[in-house]
Amino acid sequence: MSWTHLWCVGALLLATAVAQTTPKDEHFHEELVVRPLSGDHVNTYFQFTTRWHYGQKENLYHTQLTPRVIAELLQQFDVKELHIGLTQGLWRYETWGYPIVEATSGAEMWAWFKATNLTDQQVDKQWAQLANVFSGVLCASLNFVDNTNSIAPKHLLRPQFMPANRENFVRYASLPREIVCTENLTPWKKLLPCGSASGFASLLNSGYVHNTKYHSLGLKVRTLCQDHDEDNCILEMTQTANLVYDLRLLEQSGNDFSLRRLFGMGLNGYCELASSSKIYVQRNELGARYQLVPPPPAEETTTRGGYTVVYGVYDMQEQFQDQGERLFNIAWLAPKGELRRNRQKPAPPPIYAHRYLLGQGQERGRIVTEVTNSHYAPLPILVQELIPWYVHAYLHTLNIRRRPLGRNEYGSETLPFKLLHYAPGKQRELPTHLEIGFLLPGQSSALITIDVDYLVLKWLEYPPDANHGHYINAALVASALPMGTNYSALPLEGHLFAHSFNATRPSYVLGLHTEALIVSLPTPDFSMPYNVICLACTVVALAFGPIHSVATKLIVVVRQTSAPRNFLKKLKEKLFSRGSPVLPTAGEADVPEGAGCLPPEEQDANENDNDEEEEKEREKEDGEDKECAH
Amino acid sequence: MDAKFFKLLLLGGAVRFYFVRTPLASLISDRVEFATPLNSQKRMKEGIYLLDQGIDPYSGDLVHESPLVLKALSGLFLNFPQWLPLIYILLDLLTGALLYNLSVRFVKQKLQKQRLERKNYAKDTEQLQYNDDDNYDIPELVLIAYLFNPLTVLSCIGLTSTVLSNLFLALFLYFLTKGLLLPCIVLLAFETVRSLYPIVLMAPLLLVFARRSLIGGVMLSLLFAIACVIIAAASYLVLHSWSFLDGTLGFIFYFRDLQPNIGLFWYFFTEMFEHFRTMFLITFQLNATVLYLVPLSLKLRKEPLLLATVLVALMAVFRAYPSLGDVGFYLALLPLWKRCWKYMAHGFVVFTFFMVTLSMMGALWHLWIYAGSANANFYFGATLAFSTGQIFLITDLLFAHVKREFCLYNGQKIMIDGEEARILLK
Repeated sequence: MSWTHLWCVGALLLATAVAQTTPKDEHFHEELVVRPLSGDHVNTYFQFTTRWHYGQKENLYHTQLTPRVIAELLQQFDVKELHIGLTQGLWRYETWGYPIVEATSGAEMWAWFKATNLTDQQVDKQWAQLANVFSGVLCASLNFVDNTNSIAPKHLLRPQFMPANRENFVRYASLPREIVCTENLTPWKKLLPCGSASGFASLLNSGYVHNTKYHSLGLKVRTLCQDHDEDNCILEMTQTANLVYDLRLLEQSGNDFSLRRLFGMGLNGYCELASSSKIYVQRNELGARYQLVPPPPAEETTTRGGYTVVYGVYDMQEQFQDQGERLFNIAWLAPKGELRRNRQKPAPPPIYAHRYLLGQGQERGRIVTEVTNSHYAPLPILVQELIPWYVHAYLHTLNIRRRPLGRNEYGSETLPFKLLHYAPGKQRELPTHLEIGFLLPGQSSALITIDVDYLVLKWLEYPPDANHGHYINAALVASALPMGTNYSALPLEGHLFAHSFNATRPSYVLGLHTEALIVSLPTPDFSMPYNVICLACTVVALAFGPIHSVATKLIVVVRQTSAPRNFLKKLKEKLFSRGSPVLPTAGEADVPEGAGCLPPEEQDANENDNDEEEEKEREKEDGEDKECAH
Repeated sequence: MDAKFFKLLLLGGAVRFYFVRTPLASLISDRVEFATPLNSQKRMKEGIYLLDQGIDPYSGDLVHESPLVLKALSGLFLNFPQWLPLIYILLDLLTGALLYNLSVRFVKQKLQKQRLERKNYAKDTEQLQYNDDDNYDIPELVLIAYLFNPLTVLSCIGLTSTVLSNLFLALFLYFLTKGLLLPCIVLLAFETVRSLYPIVLMAPLLLVFARRSLIGGVMLSLLFAIACVIIAAASYLVLHSWSFLDGTLGFIFYFRDLQPNIGLFWYFFTEMFEHFRTMFLITFQLNATVLYLVPLSLKLRKEPLLLATVLVALMAVFRAYPSLGDVGFYLALLPLWKRCWKYMAHGFVVFTFFMVTLSMMGALWHLWIYAGSANANFYFGATLAFSTGQIFLITDLLFAHVKREFCLYNGQKIMIDGEEARILLK
């Protein structure tokens, strides 16, 4: 009896100890944002944030909410900030505005490293190892990230951790060919404290997630340390899932939709480990016409950089206070009698970018990146290009031409670079890294073009299905917007979506991705290696044989044979006279005389001895011999 | 130097000037047959631009031109790009003029030598001997063959740096016939540091200047090595980095760029099994340099210029990045051996080979790269046949030379038992 009692007390003590540490040092938040977009699209954005004030590095051994692999990462590597994005589809800036988190199609990854006495080589090594770790963690092909496709961005990427100074190293890579699917979603959900069992993550069912027009999984880890105090640090891990549904593809009759329609099921509660679980539903702009059932218990109005958004807020922890209710659903009901299609097009965002490829054939082309500024004032633009090594770019062909909006053709007006960083690529070793900065005047587009050559690769370097083509990575475009139109990214110092509310700043750092390109390189015939080796060697032998004869053989005179002219007879002669030389008499006739009659050249060539004295003697003899010649 | 010489030069210049203003020029400067990774104008421009921007051009993989050339031409490229075609045309005409002068001197030397040896010649061999008419005919033929060969004309209007290589080679040969040692060595060292293969031309140089003395040979080789080091050091001073060595010589030796060209390397190393690559690389580079060097030097030691011609020709066939401009250069030297032509049996075959393969190359390239209806094998076949044609030409020239030498001393008609005999190599 007493033993049981004691055990119970022990367990209770332990429980209180855990309870004391958990809420104090470590927090987990879940957020879901639903924003109706134009063209019958709905954007749902999940954000799961774990923030752990771990203090000293030694504490990283004892993880609770933070996945162990992330904590180990900070012990193993000198990485301070890490971003990974796995995306399928293309974000349409012109109709959808800016996303809350940016991503490019395929896999994308960048990391900041910082430590005392860290060298570039060490960072290269750590970077490759880091990519391999996450290749396993997320079941993605990040193991293909190495120094042949990574760059160290100079200007475009900015660190989001403190203190940021010159001793930082950054590496960036993207794999546009990567296909994102269920096998990435499942391990990604496993990193969450509640897994996919409860909470918002239970909505992310692969059957529905991968039916979307755009889906992007993100993972961001950063450590925030007090200035010059490595023992007072916060580890912040943000997992995001950004989805765009096309309502027309959902099986339904009207314009209405609901959580159940989007995700296949209602919300079954909240993650018990979460400090907050909130759903934000945009109520103004395109969301204004919907009637919400149930109506949001609270509304929040945010004005950021002159741009006002109204969100309806559902707090799941309040919603599920009564034990009775088990599944929660929100329905968006459009007014009856409205047109089926939502054709309302929003004003384009201040800056958007596209890219395409010019030229035909598999020899050369021109990469074109078009950046448009629809704002009235000039804006600074930074463009970062990572051109893979199998494409040669010519820097001297780089130029930026400008066209005012409303005109169709680009004139000859060029824009000067304010900034240029270029690291030429090297086959099989380095990609071409280009960063350019310029000022884009208001109400105009800039056309950035660079000429490229497509290389022929070794036959084993082509991927399976060589004629599918090779990808050229998306360009990154960055700018600083003076206003918050369409802008919903998290502020640098915030970690929750709610922190972007009313976060007015002097300027808003914007990052965009263009489309990735696909080029078809010339392909060899993969079935030919033996033939090619044989044929090329034959041609070499064709030269070697005769030159060898000329250099080593003796010139002789043989009797003109009375050989038959007819081909068949010749053949017959050859066949039946095998063994016995055809011209025995000729040989007799010329060898004794002929040898003496050779011009001095021949004599010398056959003479092995190059001794000068002998040579002179020889020549003397030659002279005598010649007199006797014919 | 008569009026005809200047007329021909003018006409050659006019032809080039006409074509350089047509769209053909930009087409040719992009053709793989003329513009290789080593000599293309686009890469030269890139190199000069990078140098101007303060970026090491050899840190990338595009530029393989010598830093000295880049530096020398940078002012021209950056400030007067419109004058560039004119300069290239003038340089090409200069090459033609050098070849003309070289042949004049060569024929004179031949005649002089013949006069000394005439008593040894067989009787009916006037046809095989150089005569006084050759004083005019041969240089003129050489000049025409250089100025009006479509290969050199196109190579010039495509503004490939083969124009420069040809100029340096012509200068080298000119000084070789003139017997000026120092310019020869400097030019050869420069070309060697620039594109590796001309090192084989040390053989004719030694034959001319060392005069069979071992010490002389060693001294000259040493001098050549010193010249190479000095030129490399000068390049270093321009660039402040040794990266150019790997960017030029290393790039050629390791054959890093598999861009198709008219040579044998590209498809061979595209389709090569990786673990054999090093072996075949060394084999092919030996084949292009030292393999034929010793036997031919021994065989042709009385004829340094013929040796140089044959080596230049073999270089154009077997080098890693050959272009048609190189082929045009050695074709222009063939008229020097006009008196061997009688014994060149494959003239028609070679001509047909050249015509067919050169016209096929354009068509098959289009089918492969643009139309997508052929594959790499087709183009490879054409380049292979072209190389074969060139090899026929070279071996034919060698055989013809050997036969001429024999017949010069033994008479054109050799009778055995009252019947005409045949000449064979045994």
